[in-house]
Amino acid sequence: MNLTYAAIELRRVARDYVSMFFVAVLPAFMYLIFGVSMDYGDQAVGNGNAALYTMIAMAAFGAVTATTGIGGMAAVERMQGWGRQLGLTPMSDREYVTIKAFVAFLIALVPVALIYLLGSVTGAEGSAAAWLLSGLVVIGGAAVFALYGLAAGLLFRTEAAIGAASGSLVILAFLGSVFFPLSGGMLTLAKFTPLYGYVALARYPLTEGEIVSTTGAAAGTDPLWIPLANLLAWGTVFGAGAVLLVRRGRGRQ
Amino acid sequence: MVTTEQDTAAVELRDVTKQFRPRSGQPVTAVDGLDLRIGRGEIVAVLGPNGAGKTTTLDMVLGLTDPTGGHLRVHGTGPRSAVAAGRVSAVLQTGGLLRDLSVRETVRLVASTFPQPAPVDDVLRQAGLQALASRRVSKCSGGEQQRLRFALALLPDPDLLVLDEPTAGMDVTARREFWDTMRKDARNGRTVVFATHYLDEADAFAERIVMMAHGHIVADGTTSEIRNRVSGRRVAADLPDCGADDVLRRLPHVQHLRRERDRVTIHTTDSDAVARVLLSELGARDVEITSRSLDDAFAALTEDRHVRAPADTDKADQLIEETAR
Repeated sequence: MNLTYAAIELRRVARDYVSMFFVAVLPAFMYLIFGVSMDYGDQAVGNGNAALYTMIAMAAFGAVTATTGIGGMAAVERMQGWGRQLGLTPMSDREYVTIKAFVAFLIALVPVALIYLLGSVTGAEGSAAAWLLSGLVVIGGAAVFALYGLAAGLLFRTEAAIGAASGSLVILAFLGSVFFPLSGGMLTLAKFTPLYGYVALARYPLTEGEIVSTTGAAAGTDPLWIPLANLLAWGTVFGAGAVLLVRRGRGRQ
Repeated sequence: MVTTEQDTAAVELRDVTKQFRPRSGQPVTAVDGLDLRIGRGEIVAVLGPNGAGKTTTLDMVLGLTDPTGGHLRVHGTGPRSAVAAGRVSAVLQTGGLLRDLSVRETVRLVASTFPQPAPVDDVLRQAGLQALASRRVSKCSGGEQQRLRFALALLPDPDLLVLDEPTAGMDVTARREFWDTMRKDARNGRTVVFATHYLDEADAFAERIVMMAHGHIVADGTTSEIRNRVSGRRVAADLPDCGADDVLRRLPHVQHLRRERDRVTIHTTDSDAVARVLLSELGARDVEITSRSLDDAFAALTEDRHVRAPADTDKADQLIEETAR
């Protein structure tokens, strides 16, 4: 891989302080507020406690904010003429995608590492498997949202659209029972929203499918296939959308 | 391997056509059966109004878009492999730059994609960007950004450099600075093909001018050839009609004759012959010969043929036939 290109790209993203605030600082702050400083933090949840439950959600939120932004940025910069500039070099599309994916992966690691570290020193508790597996799902699943950002960038073609796509993650997080446990009709609806599957899957090693509620008693149980099916379905939707939009862009040239 | 003449051309287009298919409506033909051969080391200006097919043609030469039909070779190979080998490079009209990178970072970034790029500092110096190396691209003026694109184009040390309206939107000073930079670089043997709206640029920098309109080449020759052979001169004289107009019209090389009372104006490619006839045989007075500007030629050759007078249309077709040969 072209490490010079990757290093410059990495520096470019990292010094965009506003984006990095939303990627790393905000989710870490939200973890401290909703995970650490609340009374319910110590309550047992599955293989660990409520602080860990919140920590996984915030790390996941930071990771998808990173990948959505980088995916969207890639789409917009290509359409604004950088694609033509790269068309004058030997660099292939495959190489470009590899570099972007690598950069997205490294940037997504920042909030995950930061929040997991914060968690480990502020009372988040759980089995070793819950820590490790949830972290892996958070990192891996975030890739699906790079496709979300890519599709949004291809569709709206502006930097503002990327901001909107990243911002919409907050709404999707509420709708997906990420920040706050939903129940009843809202919970049923939540299971069809994009962030639900991803975060429920990341929490699965901790909860083993048990759905946490605000009243203390479990609101039910998700079999593993529900978050998996959700993540796969949305991954397919975003992926197919991105492919269609790339084709449309080519035809228009 | 059989090496024929065509292998030595920098650019070779034979019957190249490009059609766009909008999702609704009729297909649009941007380039229509283009034949063009550019030898190595030539400096060629491609002139034409917006929509003439200049950018589309150059995009095809650069492999940024594929022709719908015809044969296209760049240094004897396909455009993509010529680009990948670093033999062809370009300054694009709307080449995107990443606004949040510095000038030096941009050059390093693009340099990293080539196997053996020119040293970053050399390229910055050639483009006159040393003093701006650490400036953010977003803080550079249009002219400075264009010099940065030029620096990027120099990285592979290309044999063929394509410039698509490199000075569009620049003020006079920036345009002069850009061409000064170009001139300094003009290393021996590098082929340069540039599209432009500015006739003075074509006149000052190019050895050969290719004029395009409606996806066709309407004229092809040296700058003076274009001015003289294509547009010719304007000869005006005081001369009462009395059958003189018929005599003049029958002369070879007379393109067009216009009369306002006793003043006759003739467009011709051979002003000497016309003047001789006017003065000796017809006894005309106050003969005035003026060179039509390149702008006149440009306008005459590229204006919409539907609004052209029938006689002129014949001339234009004749010209196209002539230049196609």
